[in-house]
Amino acid sequence: MEITHRRMNRVDLLEVAGRVDAATAPHLKQQIDNLFNEGRYRIVLDLANLEYISSPGLRVLIEARKRAREWKLTDLEGGDIRIANLPPRIKEVFDLTGFTSLFELYNDTVEAVGSF
Amino acid sequence: MDSITLTADLEALARISAFITAAAERAGLDERATWQVQLAVDEAATNVIQHAYDPEAPGDITLSWRSEGNQFIVTLRDFGRQFDPGSIPPPDLSSPLEERQAGGLGIYLITRLMDEVRFDFNPQGGNVLTMIKYIAPASGDDTLTFPVTGRVDAATAPQLSRAVHEEIARGARRVVLDLSGVSFLSSSGLRALLLIRKELMTLGGELRLAALQPQVREVFDLTGFTQVFAIHPGVAEARAAFGQGRA
Repeated sequence: MEITHRRMNRVDLLEVAGRVDAATAPHLKQQIDNLFNEGRYRIVLDLANLEYISSPGLRVLIEARKRAREWKLTDLEGGDIRIANLPPRIKEVFDLTGFTSLFELYNDTVEAVGSF
Repeated sequence: MDSITLTADLEALARISAFITAAAERAGLDERATWQVQLAVDEAATNVIQHAYDPEAPGDITLSWRSEGNQFIVTLRDFGRQFDPGSIPPPDLSSPLEERQAGGLGIYLITRLMDEVRFDFNPQGGNVLTMIKYIAPASGDDTLTFPVTGRVDAATAPQLSRAVHEEIARGARRVVLDLSGVSFLSSSGLRALLLIRKELMTLGGELRLAALQPQVREVFDLTGFTQVFAIHPGVAEARAAFGQGRA
């Protein structure tokens, strides 16, 4: 797994590539927690080069989205984890596990960043 | 039979994945099935690594595979704590984010990705998880006419779902359900048909229903499902309609 971080004005973009399994999921969690600890709760995950994800990775995603959404700036503006460029194989895992309806999915990072 | 034995720690996962992926390709599974096996085996191995042994002193995990006829058979063995699959509640896939449990997906995914799954334990042999994936024929006719008979209700719908699911796993994509022998269809039966339709559509296939008896036809009319399903007077008409849209 490889994570590339790009900081934008209001949003942080994390590009997650490679394999997210039980061995690597803790690193993804750490990276997201670091952003939370800095008070950065608006995160876009660019999954275009994600080859693989198993349940420990799914667990990180769901827990992170729950935490992000607890952060509210105003009634209208708050934290969230949004996903861009979900590859077809990973979409299949999302469909099987009901994750498709638990996340906001965007076709590209521009759309996802702009949604905040 | 081919096998690999490793210390059950997180470093083993990448090697287990590479081993089973190469095996699945050798056994002739297509790319999608190979990927499904890879994920199922990874979930199972993760389970062993995280729960079977004391993390300070992990024991061994042995992964083996063989193919028999059209079955790709994978077994995963460990000598750790007895695993009771019944102790893991199935995930509630429909609950909203706030109530959604973060864990419990591993076993569920294994059962969804593989065609047969069996857990065995005995004190000498340890935990043995057997997972089977059916190898779909590489090419050939993917059209299937499947006769359904009797009552399709809450009691019998799961059998129907399972039987059709197995045919889909073997490669059926254009499926006609011949309902001429169905005397009664309940809402559970309708639900089973919807799920079959969805599974086929996901795979680029089609479901068509043929030869409904009047009392069954009425269920579709009353519920509005006449609009959802492709319904044909007979099997021949249904088979002729494949590729013509409206499925």
